[in-house]
Amino acid sequence: MEVLKVEGLSKNFGGLQVFQGLSFNVEAGAKLALIGPNGAGKTTLFNILGGQLPATTGRVHLLGQEITHMAPRHRLHLGLSRSFQINNLFFNLTLMENILLALEGAERSHFQMFHPINAQTELVVAAQELLQSMGLWEKRFDPITTLSYGDQRRMDFALALVSKPKLLLLDEPSAGLTIAESAALADNMRKLPEDTVLFFCAHDMDLVFNLADQIMVLCSGQIMAWGTPQEIQANPKVKEIYLGGEVSS
Amino acid sequence: MDKLKLTDSNRTLWQARLAPFIPYIAGALILIILPLFISTYFVSMLTKVLIFAIFAMSLDLLVGYTGLLSLGHAAYLGVAGYTAGILMVHYGIESLCLVLPLSILMAGIAAAIIGYLALRVSGVYFLLITIAFGQLLAVAAVRWKTMTGGTNGLIGIPYPNLGLPGFTWAGSSYYYLVFVVFVICFLLLYRITKSTFGQALVGIRENEMRMQCLGYNTWAHKYVAFIVAGLFAGVAGSLFAPFYGIMVPGYLGITTSTTVMLMVIIGSAGTLFGPVLGSALIVFLEHFASLYAPERWPLILGAVFVICVMFIRGGFGIYIPRFWKGMRIRLWKC
Repeated sequence: MEVLKVEGLSKNFGGLQVFQGLSFNVEAGAKLALIGPNGAGKTTLFNILGGQLPATTGRVHLLGQEITHMAPRHRLHLGLSRSFQINNLFFNLTLMENILLALEGAERSHFQMFHPINAQTELVVAAQELLQSMGLWEKRFDPITTLSYGDQRRMDFALALVSKPKLLLLDEPSAGLTIAESAALADNMRKLPEDTVLFFCAHDMDLVFNLADQIMVLCSGQIMAWGTPQEIQANPKVKEIYLGGEVSS
Repeated sequence: MDKLKLTDSNRTLWQARLAPFIPYIAGALILIILPLFISTYFVSMLTKVLIFAIFAMSLDLLVGYTGLLSLGHAAYLGVAGYTAGILMVHYGIESLCLVLPLSILMAGIAAAIIGYLALRVSGVYFLLITIAFGQLLAVAAVRWKTMTGGTNGLIGIPYPNLGLPGFTWAGSSYYYLVFVVFVICFLLLYRITKSTFGQALVGIRENEMRMQCLGYNTWAHKYVAFIVAGLFAGVAGSLFAPFYGIMVPGYLGITTSTTVMLMVIIGSAGTLFGPVLGSALIVFLEHFASLYAPERWPLILGAVFVICVMFIRGGFGIYIPRFWKGMRIRLWKC
């Protein structure tokens, strides 16, 4: 089943053309990595897919429905969720409050003015399960600011997971993590449901080649290459432009 | 033995649940008993404190919880105050059951219109638009002389009729009416701020973009918060007009909006009791300044604000829960 379909997507910032006429499809269950040199437009593409930036031209479809001009909240309810390159959390709130906000957001109605959020047993139980699975339950009453960067990164990932997305966009999920933290995050990413599309961009080649079953290489506003990790490793253009001419297998 | 353990555990649970509310209960008891021992003049000051406390709590919903800095909040106090005054003075409608809801409704309508336009922009532009609307309504109050009395104000606003047989306003009776309304407003706002909606407002204050990604319609949340804040400001306004007996255009303007903003900031934005304390501080400070240095009041207010911003950045209200938590741990270990 086709989860994401991008047709002729272009983005300009004034006179600067970030990319032009991008078209690709992503099938259910794909683990797609987006790589490319700095300034290739990876984050811009994610921001357009997530609804944080408008596309200049082109169309985006999610599960058969056009979402090009859809607000981020509608995209979430359709099955698209994302994390950010820089931790994007509610830093002054506790871990529990962060997760409860995310769980409540996945519901349709958020205008209950006299119903305490803590009294919603199902949400609290779901939050407990999630925090326990991330190994952060003991810190549930601590503000996010007291967490290490690695734990904050995991919380960012956890918030994106709460809505049980069909398409999960992760922008540089391992940025700033130690090797051990990056490996732990990769384990969590592997545990995603089989039909969930994982679309992530990263500079961490270990993560990319260990996790992805497809890799898209974005360069100079074009899709320069698309294939399995082995095909990308063997691609001379990729070697030359992005990977410095040599890839260890 | 088991029974004893159970009793101890129940007591601990009871203490843990009740302990955070003891300062509120103590405060309410003081506010009930105090008027019996103080002069009518000080009762009048306490009334003013409570009216401004309702007003400040309503602004706190915007500033402290939602992160929307509005400097036009006096507009809703003024709209409700003028509505109450016009109904009573021009139409002879003095029943509290009519005056209060109609005044609040008018404030809510004003907030709905202004909020719809002001929330099209954000940050400093939002602030400027709210100031502009406040000033616009103040000018409207000046111009609409037949109803508002223009610059002379709407004079002779009486206390509302409670509809109780044989009841007449005397001594502290208006204070107790204001106190009851204050308690109702406090409880309602407490529920709202602890609710799903209230927590969403806090999320918007903290990180609006992430809230959108998590499925929230942040504009609608801010708009509803704006209207709810306007409604509560309307409650304050409908009590304010009979308390002063007069409404003048200046009450809608930036001076009143700034004063209430200072109450919120000095008291602690984002806590419900903070603006109440801020209101008490400003009202009593103004009183003592008027006694000893009436011309220096703006200077004193400015100095207090600068000191608070420099040395007590979160407002002095945040220290009270910390102090009380320390006391609880020391006294009951809960």
